[in-house]
Amino acid sequence: MTVRTLLATPTQTPAPHESPASRLAVAGDLLALLRCTTTEPRPDEQLEALTLAVAADLPVLLWGEPGIGKTAALNQLADSLGLPLTTVIASVHEPSDFSGLPIVGEDPAVQGVPMAPPQWAVELVAAGRGLLFLDELSTATPAVQAALLRVVLERRVGSLQLPPGVRIVAAANPRASAADGWELSPPLANRFVHLYWVHDRDVVVRGLGGVWPRATLPSLDPDRLADAVALARRAVCGFLEARPTLIHRLPNSETRRGGAWPSPRSWEAALTLLAFGTAAGVSREVLALLVRGAVGDGPGLELLAHLDRMDLPNPEDLLAQPPRAELPERGDLRQAALEAVVAAVGARPEQARWDAAWTVLVRALETGAPDLLVAPATALAGLRRDTWEVPAAMERLADVIGIARTADRSVDRVRAAAKGARR
Amino acid sequence: MEKLLAARLHAVKVRPYLAAALFALHIVEDRAVPTMGVDAHWRCYVSPAFVARMSVEDLAGVWVHEVSHLLRDHHERGARYAREHEEHGAFQRLRRNIAADFEINDDIYGDGLPRPAGVVLPSRLRLSDGLLMEEYLRTASMKGLAGDLAWLDCGSGADGEPRPWELGPDGAQGLTRQQRDAVRFRVTEAIKGAPGEAPAGWRRWADEAFQPPQPWRQLLGAAIRSAAGAPGVGENHSYRRPSRRSASLPGVILPSLRRTPPRVCVVIDTSGSVSDAELGSALLEVAAIARAVGGRRDLVSVVSCDAAAGVAVPLCRAESLELVGGGGTDLRSGFATALRRGPGPDVIVALTDGQTPWPSERPPCRTVVGLFPRPARRVNENDEDYEPDGPPDWARVVTIG
Repeated sequence: MTVRTLLATPTQTPAPHESPASRLAVAGDLLALLRCTTTEPRPDEQLEALTLAVAADLPVLLWGEPGIGKTAALNQLADSLGLPLTTVIASVHEPSDFSGLPIVGEDPAVQGVPMAPPQWAVELVAAGRGLLFLDELSTATPAVQAALLRVVLERRVGSLQLPPGVRIVAAANPRASAADGWELSPPLANRFVHLYWVHDRDVVVRGLGGVWPRATLPSLDPDRLADAVALARRAVCGFLEARPTLIHRLPNSETRRGGAWPSPRSWEAALTLLAFGTAAGVSREVLALLVRGAVGDGPGLELLAHLDRMDLPNPEDLLAQPPRAELPERGDLRQAALEAVVAAVGARPEQARWDAAWTVLVRALETGAPDLLVAPATALAGLRRDTWEVPAAMERLADVIGIARTADRSVDRVRAAAKGARR
Repeated sequence: MEKLLAARLHAVKVRPYLAAALFALHIVEDRAVPTMGVDAHWRCYVSPAFVARMSVEDLAGVWVHEVSHLLRDHHERGARYAREHEEHGAFQRLRRNIAADFEINDDIYGDGLPRPAGVVLPSRLRLSDGLLMEEYLRTASMKGLAGDLAWLDCGSGADGEPRPWELGPDGAQGLTRQQRDAVRFRVTEAIKGAPGEAPAGWRRWADEAFQPPQPWRQLLGAAIRSAAGAPGVGENHSYRRPSRRSASLPGVILPSLRRTPPRVCVVIDTSGSVSDAELGSALLEVAAIARAVGGRRDLVSVVSCDAAAGVAVPLCRAESLELVGGGGTDLRSGFATALRRGPGPDVIVALTDGQTPWPSERPPCRTVVGLFPRPARRVNENDEDYEPDGPPDWARVVTIG
């Protein structure tokens, strides 16, 4: 070895950080820095709804544009529930991957043809628990969707039964963005709780800045379980007794196809979700997402309106203790409560109850807007019997009558002017 | 205050179906507000001076006007429009407010509510009535109006831009999204429950409030795709030939994906009641969709049909096809012609205005009907009770236009 070669070596071999392997290592460092993000707590209604539905063991279908963070949300959910996540992209599978592949043995006539399950199902069953994520559901062919019915409803893959610890979540792109998609058949749609996934601008911007949201996940309160079941049963049964036509209604218009629709199965899901939501103490917003996702927008909203009415104070309680009556703050609910009081008096007219109702009205006058009282007061005055004396409380509603007169006069003026114009 | 409440009662009396929404509003008195405005959380901000100088009946009109902004979700729609078109600033805010007012003002007044003197109507810009806020925004610059109406301010409920005096989402007495939906839902139920009372604009709103109409192209596409892709037609799995994966898995029987291109036959109603423009756009759409689902051009054929059906023409010639016809329609002969060809079609797409007799029994293939909507009217002068039947149950119906 000459001196020259010794001297030349350092300039010819690349510096240690330039060798191919170490270049990748530097790239790895950069990637690690990029991936190093933190989280901050932030209430997230979508995630709360998803967690509750998964906890209730109902299959969930997330609708959302591609790339909107459905998979990221599921990763977070799997982390927080401590479940391993198995992703199966439905559109690249064949029906036999879900119903089992027929395997011809020695003598099919004797042994039959077993339906072999795919590897992911075997692993899921071996683990005993996990989150099965069926992605791209709407781009699967109708035959694959038909095979998936069994996975979603009976939780069977081929000859394997998925253990109870496995939860199923699916995702689909809405028709508008899935140009080559198939729509979901109504039977398959009916088995899911449909959640519409949208991104929040602030969350995305802040997340790209390095801070992603961490939702506080709802947890069930063991002391409230019995009450929650009772409330959910009362709400759903009471509602369906009043609106029996909503028990089963196939989607009839083109726009509703592929979405949630009411049937005994989806009402059972709504009942379960109500009970879970109540036991977890989630907000009405989350309940609304879940119930509308189970039975569809119209019936879901009607059920929620029914829940609102169940929250109104009981008219008999108000009549029993009129001076301490607690009336709802919101005008429309307050009027509904007052009308219920008047209806209760009308159902069992007695002078004591009639007087008590006037006291409730005066109480309402003291705590809120007077124009709400016009309709209930007029109805209550109409219930009077000849022998009943006018209570002193009625005098205090003089202002209300004044407002009503002003309104009547103004309506009359407009009508008269319109008549004049026509002549 | 009393005057304001009397005005609300007036509004409830003449528009009973809006009662729930009017009473749900929470009134906030504030001298900073120019006139009367609403925010997205259903609070109504009122300037006492404004109330003092208005008459009760005009105030009633303002109530209905403001609550209409909320019911029609102008807050959300205005904010979305601003985001999508990157239009911010005072002039753009005013533009959205004016467009929202156009949408409302053309049908809320009259019948017990006097039309205020300075009200903004689409006719001031020579625009037609009955469009949506977004359509007004797209078609008109509103430059001419902006100077006169700079004072106009219906609050963030009308255009989605927050105001300094508003209490914001955390303020007291606001309605949450779910409560807002519940109130809007009760109003739609009230309107549907008393269909005679509400004007057409409100009835249309009630029908669409919770189901925004989807573009017919997507619906028609989905219907044809699902008809052409249903089991037995089009792409499907079969065991007729082994899958390419079979070689690696001896002993396992794998299905393979086979494609049988669907034959689509389009029956076109060429009676006088359907315009050429409507037909042209619908026909092009069907052809594009049929090609997208894998139908080869020679497998898509067209039958033009008025009282009698013409012959089925392959689509490759139909692009220069003259759609001959006029007068009455009998789609039954169109269906018969479509089915007479051998081999029969997998899917029949009928484009019609629906003023026709329909086949009495279900054809042996899937049927999609593209329906051009027509106002209900008598078509037979000799028989006043005659009304054409709607499309039959076995067809999937997509309303076009």
